[in-house]
Amino acid sequence: MVNDSFRLVGSEYRIHQPQPKKQSLRQRLKGLPLLSMTIFLFIVLGCIFAGQLANHDPTDFYLQNLNEAPGKEFFFGTDSLGRDIYSMIWYGGRISLTIGLLGTAIIAVIGILWGCISGTASERVDSIMMRITEICGSIPSLLFVLILSAAFQANDILSLSIVIGVTGWFGLARIVRSEVRQIRNSEYVLYARCCNGSFLHVTIQHLIPNFLSPVMFALVSSIGSCITLESSLSFLGLGLPISSISWGSMLSLANRALLSNTWWVIVFPGLFLVVTLMCLTNIGSFFRKSANRKPSNL
Amino acid sequence: MQHLGKAIGKNLLLFLAAMFILSFVVFALARLAPGDPLQSFYGDALEQMTASEQAAARARLGLDQGLVVQYVQWFLHALHGDFGISLKYKMPALQVIAPLLGNTLLLGLIAYILVFVFATLLAVFCALHEEDLLDRLICKICTVAYYIPSFWLGIVLILIFSIQLGWLPSSGAYDVGKANDLFNRIQHLVLPLIVMLSSHLWYYAYMIRNKLLDELRKDYVLLAKSKGLTRRQIVWRHCLRNVAPTIVSIMAISIPHITGGTVIVEAVFSYPGIGNLAVESAKYHDYNLLMLSVLITGALVFLGSFAAQAINEQIDPRMKGNGVIKW
Repeated sequence: MVNDSFRLVGSEYRIHQPQPKKQSLRQRLKGLPLLSMTIFLFIVLGCIFAGQLANHDPTDFYLQNLNEAPGKEFFFGTDSLGRDIYSMIWYGGRISLTIGLLGTAIIAVIGILWGCISGTASERVDSIMMRITEICGSIPSLLFVLILSAAFQANDILSLSIVIGVTGWFGLARIVRSEVRQIRNSEYVLYARCCNGSFLHVTIQHLIPNFLSPVMFALVSSIGSCITLESSLSFLGLGLPISSISWGSMLSLANRALLSNTWWVIVFPGLFLVVTLMCLTNIGSFFRKSANRKPSNL
Repeated sequence: MQHLGKAIGKNLLLFLAAMFILSFVVFALARLAPGDPLQSFYGDALEQMTASEQAAARARLGLDQGLVVQYVQWFLHALHGDFGISLKYKMPALQVIAPLLGNTLLLGLIAYILVFVFATLLAVFCALHEEDLLDRLICKICTVAYYIPSFWLGIVLILIFSIQLGWLPSSGAYDVGKANDLFNRIQHLVLPLIVMLSSHLWYYAYMIRNKLLDELRKDYVLLAKSKGLTRRQIVWRHCLRNVAPTIVSIMAISIPHITGGTVIVEAVFSYPGIGNLAVESAKYHDYNLLMLSVLITGALVFLGSFAAQAINEQIDPRMKGNGVIKW
């Protein structure tokens, strides 16, 4: 009877807990450059498992089959030395990708360190350091590489990557420096320095995690430019010798292939090179912040 | 006027400093490199020389002194226009390079002008059709073209147009005995220019396009529109004019890239120019020639950057003075 006029409100009260909605796989993958990632993964795996994929020895000269057109025995044909192009592509990709990664690693270390020092240093030191990158960056990098590779006979993987890396970090250093300038006065950096944090500690703990995502684009695309530079150099006869197989050194036979009109020697390694570069670009531009523009006035 | 004189003086000083650094670095690298200069100068004749003859030859060529002394000597000679003897051609390096300079300048300049004319046109077109199917299609195609390595594109073009179809010549700057035939020259320039265009065009067109798109969001565009101007008029007359300083700055940045591009293109098409010569002399360790070609290219690049900066200050007074990174 009592309960009729006096009803309890919210007797079944429960704390509202929003269920974290499980995102479907499709939603999570949205926006990722899926196609590029798949193709790139495929190429990388192919290079890793080159031994299983190749059906010939890439260093063997099949002297009966010089300049043979693509067919059942040699999938992509043979070059003017009688080597199987299909097998060479997988083995050559190993070297090309290694040089891309090694070169980028060197670029990343030098560029990030230089940028961090320059960004945190005093005005005078900073301007001198930036002048140096500007002057060096305004010399065509190819000429730089030409001098270095001629001077140091860079014809193995390591020295070629060093030459490429040493000449390629100017742009990255400038990006890093401008990012560091923006965050160097924030409270957490100040706090870390008050706590007697050393330069290396502040750089690794605070600076790098904060500018990593804007720098990611530059890093990924520098893998591509290292691969391009290596292949251009090898093509010009200044990089890897013909005996150590990379996509670039395979293409250094292109002039001979032009004379004998064997298109497959030129087209197949080049296609792999171009596809790899494009996948890397697509993956890289995923890291770039998309410009959020308001509607046009036009 | 005084301001102008001061600016020119400062830029000249910076130019000289940059050239000095560049020449010293190149010189040091060339001298520290492995490989005996005597070997490349005398070739096989070196083996028949006695030790004392070798020492005498070294002293005569100035190779027995320290690096800095050698550099100072080289520098003093360079002031008189003597850049040493090309070890491969056995001729003064300047004489080897001089006839090729014109060829490179021709290729580089035409490519430079074409790249920026087309980049601006393409950028305006894309800005007018923003996010249309056409715009997106152009963006995709040009990005693909931009990422094709230029040396490979060059070979493929030779394969198609010179060898399969036989329309265009594959190498050189002109056929034998036709040095003054304009048509013949143009024929030899077509393929190199296509390669230069495809590998540089989009990079700059995209930058200009993005800048234009930012410009289209400004208020004066709305005003111009309400005055009754057409879309084309607004973009061509108002927006492009505001973007012009950016284009000039981009043109200044682009000089090293385009110069680097000519090196590869010249090598692919065996075009007789400085770039091809630099590659050849790097192969044969002909350091005097390599140094001179790098120095000339460097000088062109630096001069171009200064010129662009000066032009920029003329057309946009805002660029003067503070806030701009100057050097």
